[in-house]
Amino acid sequence: MRRDWWKWFLGIWMTLMILGAFLYTPVAKGLGETTRVLYFHVPAAWVATLSFLISAVYSIRYLQKQQIQYDVWAASSAQIGFIFTILATVTGSIWAKEIWHSYWNWDPRETSIFVLLLIYAAYFALRSAIEDTNQKARLAAVYSILAFVTVPFLVFVIPRIYDSLHPDPLINPEVKIKMDPRMLRVFLGSLFGFTLLFYWMLRIKTDIEFLKLKLTKRM
Amino acid sequence: MRPKYIIGVGIILVFIAFAGLKLKQSFTPYVSLQEAKRTGGVVQVKGTRIPGSEKYDYQKKVFIFEMQDTSGEVFKVVYHGVKPSNFEQAMEVVAIGAYKNGVFEANQLLIKCPSKYQAEESKGVQS
Repeated sequence: MRRDWWKWFLGIWMTLMILGAFLYTPVAKGLGETTRVLYFHVPAAWVATLSFLISAVYSIRYLQKQQIQYDVWAASSAQIGFIFTILATVTGSIWAKEIWHSYWNWDPRETSIFVLLLIYAAYFALRSAIEDTNQKARLAAVYSILAFVTVPFLVFVIPRIYDSLHPDPLINPEVKIKMDPRMLRVFLGSLFGFTLLFYWMLRIKTDIEFLKLKLTKRM
Repeated sequence: MRPKYIIGVGIILVFIAFAGLKLKQSFTPYVSLQEAKRTGGVVQVKGTRIPGSEKYDYQKKVFIFEMQDTSGEVFKVVYHGVKPSNFEQAMEVVAIGAYKNGVFEANQLLIKCPSKYQAEESKGVQS
């Protein structure tokens, strides 16, 4: 119970962020009520990027140490990342319908996230195609590292090179976050909350996988 | 161990080069007006609207306005539909349609909104 204090903290924190997103923050000019998608869409995309990075880092560690727990971390992180990528895509698409007047237009941002989904879908296809645990872990680790090479391009480079309907990235050349202070507070709070939520999800997922491993060894 | 790393880095570099070269064109659906004139088919032209050029023809049920594409060319857009609600706030407009008889006949308009995230009540000057 004592060690789990942060889970209670996260529950209260996320509740505050949701209330803040709907009740405390003003709506942005030109975006109307859809502004509130911001506090969930961007953190989802952030967590997706972070999780793929963590997957690649644990993949490197697996290749160095050849210990199965690193593979479990890498795979679990990629799985959660995939869910958050889908969340970012769906929330983005709904938002695009309201503001751009199109659910899907193959805008550079839409195309790049679609390619990202395909790349990580192939990672899971690869994992499910190999029976031998060690071989699976080794090949998946190599693939995860290769896949992550594309992430900075798809997430950061392409939207900056191509002219897109997507708003300028929040971290822009002028290094100024153009946001109302109330909005910024909830936005940063939500980023923090999502990150902690991701950590919790990753812990649960890896715990389950370790239990599964223990059970199969005993049988 | 060394050749392994070299091969690994090599594969990564080839992968980046491939992605860079092959996907360059595929990542954007937007073309210039010149391209629209050349192909004559349905394309997406992105640009800025010219404020004050908007007109509505109630009989033909068309919304007409002028816009300037990213290369600076100004042209007339005839949109068969109702003016999008957030048209006035548009930083940029994407007209989807074809260039015919000196005008761009659009079937769909997409709107890019300012990315300032400022509260609605503050009356800032829009760029």
